[in-house]
Amino acid sequence: MLHFYLAGINNQNFLMRDRETGTWWQQITGKAIYGPLQGVALELVLSDELTFGEWRTESPSGQVLAPVVKYTKEYDSNWEPDVAKLPVVISFPGTELKSRDVVIGLTIGGAARAYPWDTFAKQSPILDRVNGTPVLLVLGADGKSFRVFVSRIDGRDAEFFLRAPESATDSNQWNLVDASTASQWNFQGCATSGSALGKCLDQTPALKDYWFDWRNYHPETTLYKH
Amino acid sequence: MSASSLYPPTLRREPPVSSRRWFAYSLFALAGIGLFFIPAFIIRPFRHQSPRALLLAMTLRQRAPLGTLIAALACFILALVLWKTASRWRKSLLVLTLLLVTFSAVMARLNYFEWMFHPIDGAQFVAQADSKLDAKQMIMAVRIGTEARAYPISQMAYHHVLNDVVAGVPIAVTY
Repeated sequence: MLHFYLAGINNQNFLMRDRETGTWWQQITGKAIYGPLQGVALELVLSDELTFGEWRTESPSGQVLAPVVKYTKEYDSNWEPDVAKLPVVISFPGTELKSRDVVIGLTIGGAARAYPWDTFAKQSPILDRVNGTPVLLVLGADGKSFRVFVSRIDGRDAEFFLRAPESATDSNQWNLVDASTASQWNFQGCATSGSALGKCLDQTPALKDYWFDWRNYHPETTLYKH
Repeated sequence: MSASSLYPPTLRREPPVSSRRWFAYSLFALAGIGLFFIPAFIIRPFRHQSPRALLLAMTLRQRAPLGTLIAALACFILALVLWKTASRWRKSLLVLTLLLVTFSAVMARLNYFEWMFHPIDGAQFVAQADSKLDAKQMIMAVRIGTEARAYPISQMAYHHVLNDVVAGVPIAVTY
């Protein structure tokens, strides 16, 4: 078991080292880039980026990391616009995005694909294919939480859409439905009604990142355009 | 005809012992100082790191704790020997370099990145109902087995790394 600590920065993606071997690891890839464990990669644990409100309803018995009282002054709840203003040290002129444009990055079977956040927020849900795998990107009802699923029900490719609410006061404003069975699906990727009831989609890891960082570590990435 | 022309041209005079000691002192001092300052200069925020420079930085930093110690010890021993015969300005040079070499040996043992972004020692968790976090704040969430944990991004964007164990699985949470 290794314990990691912050050890430096590599073009604005941080480096960590482990106390046990002193190996250097790159944050975004989880790969050991120098030292005794060079070449080893950490196993990625599936994680989500959600609003606290969304997570709270999904995880009634969940636990939250408490703020460290000593450092609460250092926490910046407005970090997103603040970080967006920081300078960048690498850029990719000639690509279609600006360095600090936010993307959702997917890696499936070695193929990388990036989805500009603004496009995603307008078009959600997005149905696409990465390396032959059908994927479904969905934005939560809060407009900030997102998840990416393999768009297959029982091994068969499936199409999803958000059904327009029946009225502005309809309590169910976020209503994800699949085209073949018309079952309703929740934001966790599980069918809550219809013939698919009880079935869940497989979630696939996704990273919300700045374009420059994603592009730097995934030079072969393709970009979703519509 | 001068006496010196009697020496065969291939025979070179050995440099005096003290200049060899000064030379050795300079080498150890440069090594000790470089082992800390070169990686610190390369791995600095808001600067581009080329792959070669980064490799050099990691290579030196990896060897710095032992290397700076050896260099500092060698410098102190040589300085003791050189002190008596050293001129005044050389004495000040000795003092200045000894300070730098000592500073490097200390810094090579400290993680100054954790002075900027303090790590979390002994992370505490609260039940979600007790959390004062605003519903609109973003969190990173992990679920392993039946255990669900949320890591507020405003906190992780400062600490950057957290070593945690969820349902028996050791994980490194990074942002």
